[in-house]
Amino acid sequence: MKNLLFVLICYLVFLPYSPAQIVLKEPLSSRQTGYNIEASLDPVAKKIKGDMKAFWVNRSIDIVQNVELHLYLNAFSNANTTFNKESGEKPGNKDSEFGWINIKYITDNNGIDLIPFMQYISTDDNNIADKSVLNINLPNAARPGDTVYLNIKFESKLPSRIIRTGYSGDYFFVAQWFPKFGVYEPAGMRYSTKGGWNCHQFHRNSEFYSNHSVYDVKITLPKEYVVGSGGMLINEKDNGDGNKSSTYRAEDIVDFAWTAWPGYAVYKDQWKHVKITLLSPPERKNQVIRQFQAVKNALEYLEANVGPYPWPYLTFADPPAKGGGSGGMEYTTLFTSESFYGVPGYLHLPEMVTIHEFGHAYFMGILASNEFEEPWLDEGVNTFWEGRIVDHYYGINSGLIDNELFKLSDKSMSRLSYVGSESRQASSNSEFSWNYPHGTYGMMSYNKTAVILNTLMGIVGEATMNEIFHEYYKRWAFKHPSGRDFINVVNDVVVRLHGYKFGPDMNWFFDQTIYGTGICDYKVSGFFNGKVVLPEAVMVRNDSLQKPLSGSDSVSVYKSVVELERAGEVILPVEVLIHFSNGDNVNELWDGKSRFKDFSYTGNRKIQWVKIDPEYKIKMDVNYINNSLTDEPDRVPVRRLTNKLISFMQFFITFLSL
Amino acid sequence: MKIFSAIKLSAFRSLKTWKGVLIVWLLSLILVSMVALPIKGVFKSGLGNSMITEQLKQGINLEVFTDLGTTFKGLVSFFKTGLFMAIVIGFLLNVFLTGGLFSAIKSSAGKFSVAEFFSASAKNFWSFLVILLIISAIILFLGILIIVIPLVVVGQADGPTEGIMMKTALITFSVFFLLLVVMLLVADYARAWQVLNDKSGYFRAIGFGFKQTFRTFFFSYSLMLILLLFQLLYGWLVLSILPGITPVSGIGVFLLFLLSQLMLIIKIMLKVLRYGSVTTMMEQKRQ
Repeated sequence: MKNLLFVLICYLVFLPYSPAQIVLKEPLSSRQTGYNIEASLDPVAKKIKGDMKAFWVNRSIDIVQNVELHLYLNAFSNANTTFNKESGEKPGNKDSEFGWINIKYITDNNGIDLIPFMQYISTDDNNIADKSVLNINLPNAARPGDTVYLNIKFESKLPSRIIRTGYSGDYFFVAQWFPKFGVYEPAGMRYSTKGGWNCHQFHRNSEFYSNHSVYDVKITLPKEYVVGSGGMLINEKDNGDGNKSSTYRAEDIVDFAWTAWPGYAVYKDQWKHVKITLLSPPERKNQVIRQFQAVKNALEYLEANVGPYPWPYLTFADPPAKGGGSGGMEYTTLFTSESFYGVPGYLHLPEMVTIHEFGHAYFMGILASNEFEEPWLDEGVNTFWEGRIVDHYYGINSGLIDNELFKLSDKSMSRLSYVGSESRQASSNSEFSWNYPHGTYGMMSYNKTAVILNTLMGIVGEATMNEIFHEYYKRWAFKHPSGRDFINVVNDVVVRLHGYKFGPDMNWFFDQTIYGTGICDYKVSGFFNGKVVLPEAVMVRNDSLQKPLSGSDSVSVYKSVVELERAGEVILPVEVLIHFSNGDNVNELWDGKSRFKDFSYTGNRKIQWVKIDPEYKIKMDVNYINNSLTDEPDRVPVRRLTNKLISFMQFFITFLSL
Repeated sequence: MKIFSAIKLSAFRSLKTWKGVLIVWLLSLILVSMVALPIKGVFKSGLGNSMITEQLKQGINLEVFTDLGTTFKGLVSFFKTGLFMAIVIGFLLNVFLTGGLFSAIKSSAGKFSVAEFFSASAKNFWSFLVILLIISAIILFLGILIIVIPLVVVGQADGPTEGIMMKTALITFSVFFLLLVVMLLVADYARAWQVLNDKSGYFRAIGFGFKQTFRTFFFSYSLMLILLLFQLLYGWLVLSILPGITPVSGIGVFLLFLLSQLMLIIKIMLKVLRYGSVTTMMEQKRQ
């Protein structure tokens, strides 16, 4: 009877966020966690008072003795937190500059005060000054199938320097603001060997790994504030005291953030079933169409090539200049763009950021990988898709910048970052986000991954790549895939579509690229054409265009040899195009395994030029210059560039003497 | 009418000094080539006999430069040093040659003589250098006072909108431009006075420049504004035409080079026209 009464109480308490469907027709995830939060913003004190009821369901076969919660805002509480040490940031000297989260009250489902059971832990680096993870030893262990309920009253103070979250004057970006469960990973999940909580500290380069949850959030704040959130607005009422309360519900998202600023102008648009809201400073009105178009492009492309966007709404904010630190962030159904007043039409930076941040709704939001441990699967895969979308809609060679003076594609930008880095071999992509050496996190996890995936696409083809991601979505949407899970999908799809053309699996590719540190560099080291006497002319090897040399005794016969080399460690199959003086083109395929390869031809034609990877599919190749060789190089572009440089400098110098 | 007659008269005088203009152009070409040609050589050798130049046909391709690896880093380093040297030497050279141009354009100047041109350049060099440095310092000071400080003040205020920032920038830049016209007038009058008086005294020259500017403010200011707007229009024309042309043949590149050099010569002519107009105005006032 006592138990029955308890169940009834729990049901009533958590009724508001019980599995009733408000946003989606049916649950998309296992909804292992859920949150019901009543929050009120004090815009003067820059604090949020929260009253939260949350649950976690033990879906493992383990008896779990504890729960771990993220208290991310404590990363801004002192200068020695892991976040501040990694970023070199100082939180400031005044109280108003710090950020923190205090748990005022916490009980379990039996009403037991859990404060005595609380302990800050920092398993990533044993930094005792870091209080961004809270461990609670449960008085009653959670058995398989049990639900752990927590009632928490907390107070969050936002930091004054917005780094993802914080405030600037009357602008608020409220992210990572409430106590949030880590992810309990039973043995076998993401290839872990034993069960345990995966709950990392707040790091400079990573913050996302959570269960898909249902959020019911009521936000109370002065009524002049315009609010945007990752939830769908269910109800808004004027409280009659100068404040308003807005209630939001979100289903199957991994995080809940919101923004509030009286200065936002609100714009609305729609794409198929998705109602899109943009919050933007009114001065940027002329960019609204661009922003909406960018997000609709991303929706269209990702739906066609990956899978459907399931939510019926999407909100994004273009923060004002003073809130620039919150730009370029992603919270699945809420994300932030980044632009500025009067950004010229040829510069597609706002579109790039919008497409990238929206893309996280898929890569991290729907396919909820662990950003801490495998950032390439989150940022890298997303950058790969960003490049494809941006270049598809805004120009294959001019996706990012489309000016008559200068053009730059998004994919080129990724390659430039990787190829131009002096530390490109400092580590592999298998590091945890905070372990990348020499400031290589961004280059490695974003750009090198994008370059690797573009290379893979160059090898297996665009249609196969799309099929890989369709399958990845099908298998892993609203779950927690690991890198190995993704590679397994690649292996299955490539074998299904191409048989054993690339071997029994594609592990050889990922072992060298994602998990290796080698570089890829194929080069044409030379070619020559030597006159031969006729008898030798019939001893042709590797001549795919072997033709009878009728009448060749009356003309010169040449033995032509192409010399290729593999200068890097990475072994990839490459195409070779050889052009002859009579106009013939010969295509060869080199498996690229040996350190060198020669192709010989005999006939009444001479080699004029040779190109490895003529279509520049192997984006990983760190030097395209040595991919080709000709006996008649075209110097015109070099002359033109030099002449323009001379003219530019001359004009500049004439200005110097007034 | 006085303004246009001054411009007309100085236009004739400017045309008479075409040899001086060609000297300025030729020396600038030699100076810049000393920086640009080695860069071209290294760039060519870095590309070798590669066909990657096909990627440069449509303009600059950053991937090609990055793929040059250490060669590119060497190029950037050489370019930075070379540009710095070209700016310093170009500045001094221009100061030097401006003396010759002012001298050649005055009414008492006879037939253009290269010897006299260089003689006047040498004679006026130090005075012109000091005048230019003082005027440049005043312009810099005005820039900080009129543009930087207001923008910083507005930017640090709580919650300025981007519109307010942009309006502030627009207003401050406009005010700065209007004052820049005054400072150019002062500089030109000072240099014209220096050349006409055959005396060395840069402070007196600058003093005269200010006095003359404000004594004939309406005419002088209108004249300078017209000439500067004309120069700006021409600058816009150059920027609209030259960068967009991407010839793919050798002859096309050569013609582009000729066109750009012709445009540069016209640019120098316009500058001489300005010097001449101010000198003419001053001479007319004296008579």
